[in-house]
Amino acid sequence: MTQTPLTTGNRRRFLQILGTLGAGAAVGYPALRAFADTNQRIALPFENGERDLLAFPQKRPLIVQTMRPPQLETPFSVFNEGLLTPNDAFFVRYHWSGIPTSIDPATYQIRIDGKVNTPLTFTLQELKRLADPIDLVAVNQCSGNSRGYFVPRVNGGQLGHGAMGNARWTGVPLKKVLEKAGVQAGAVQVSFDGLDQPPLGDGPDFGKALDIDHALNGEVMLAWGMNGEDLPLLNGYPVRLIVPGYFGTCWVKHVTGIHVLDKPYDGYWLNTGYRVPDNECECVPPGTQTDRLRPVGQYKVRSFLTSLSEGATLPFEREIVLRGIAFDQGYGIRNVALSVDGGQTWMETKLGQNLGKYSFREWTVAFRPARKGSLEIKVRAEGGSGEIQPMQASWNPSGYKRNAVETTRVNVI
Amino acid sequence: MTPSKCLAVFCLALATLDNAPAQDIRLPQETARYTPSELPGYPLVERNCLICHSAHYVQYQPPSSPREYWDKIVKKMKHPFGAFFPDEDIAPMVDYLVKTYGAERARQDPQGVWPKTGQNP
Repeated sequence: MTQTPLTTGNRRRFLQILGTLGAGAAVGYPALRAFADTNQRIALPFENGERDLLAFPQKRPLIVQTMRPPQLETPFSVFNEGLLTPNDAFFVRYHWSGIPTSIDPATYQIRIDGKVNTPLTFTLQELKRLADPIDLVAVNQCSGNSRGYFVPRVNGGQLGHGAMGNARWTGVPLKKVLEKAGVQAGAVQVSFDGLDQPPLGDGPDFGKALDIDHALNGEVMLAWGMNGEDLPLLNGYPVRLIVPGYFGTCWVKHVTGIHVLDKPYDGYWLNTGYRVPDNECECVPPGTQTDRLRPVGQYKVRSFLTSLSEGATLPFEREIVLRGIAFDQGYGIRNVALSVDGGQTWMETKLGQNLGKYSFREWTVAFRPARKGSLEIKVRAEGGSGEIQPMQASWNPSGYKRNAVETTRVNVI
Repeated sequence: MTPSKCLAVFCLALATLDNAPAQDIRLPQETARYTPSELPGYPLVERNCLICHSAHYVQYQPPSSPREYWDKIVKKMKHPFGAFFPDEDIAPMVDYLVKTYGAERARQDPQGVWPKTGQNP
């Protein structure tokens, strides 16, 4: 036995509830997208997907992937509440359990050194006054978001679709900060580190680097504000790096060090971890490996249905509005199509308010079920680069960058 | 320091603080535990793994995870991740992990390919 009696009981109860929804027969393995019961448990739709829901400081109850360090996933229903993910529902991801639990903004400092004319140390207040603050709405998505859906399964954090969020970030362009210090000729990359660290031993401290042109593009920013408030501590208070369109792994939290480098950064988390096959599909035949790898880099276009969850029932011949979200790596969503017949035919959806090219984009479409029985609803987005979500999921050994068309099964009665 | 100087310093400190108090959080108490077992690797996992991370990392892996995975991940924890346990702990730790959470779990195999020794939880 690997499950405690509590877990077993909850699982049984979960299956009972699933049965009352009538979804079991239609989907085989319990495929509820996310389902909480009164004991604050949730079942992600893959084997061994039962999780606790627990409120960490400054957070509402979130899906506990790991408790130490905190790794918390956003319950998927949150994405139907609005385009901006509330701070208290925003996912949390750390690598080491040596995380800060007390930070005094009066003494917090950020150091800039390396290939600069003037190494500088900023306080938080000095950073805020260094340039006119800018706002940017941008998605932060974990590289391993949706890893639990990989077939065959891949080891690592077994995430549903909730390791992503969309927020309005307030800060100053990294470019302004670097200009203040004066980047010297010969600089090739800028690396970043923060307060989180290995709890003991000589494990590789978490850090990331960006190419110098990327760091100076005016969009990468050092942010202290999130949806009009201070960053929650677990999301990087008081300052984190915002790298629009790039996976969350390079959005370094609690930034304390910025180092301008004259040779490429040599760090575990960039050069060994967080890599995908170095080919066009960033994939390999399922279950195989490759040595030719590159950093995870930018998002791929994705879309989700948010207004219905797996196993929902719809009344026959009554029109409803289906709704969801889409995003890409920063070209902006071009269109979102929806199929209610498993992908045989597609209808256009209407795109909603545009909060910026890095933001979630809402889509809606009216739908009137014309026959009873089970329906497979699929959503497929096209990004501004012309990239279209694939119908079939590709596979890579680390379970990164899933972006296949997702399916929600519902019943018309 | 005179009282007036002291007050001035205090006011200056307040002004520069911008009214931002320190953020302090208390993380909730951990509840996940490794499944007790008679296997010799159980106390080793308790001692060597819990020191750095919660048992969730292990519990939530796909139950199909084979012995090679657990071997690779335990060795990765030692190098490069810096865990302190001695090399002789690795084999029993891997054995406990794969038989408790991975592909060699007794209940995963009704055909009995993996013998039930009575030591499995």
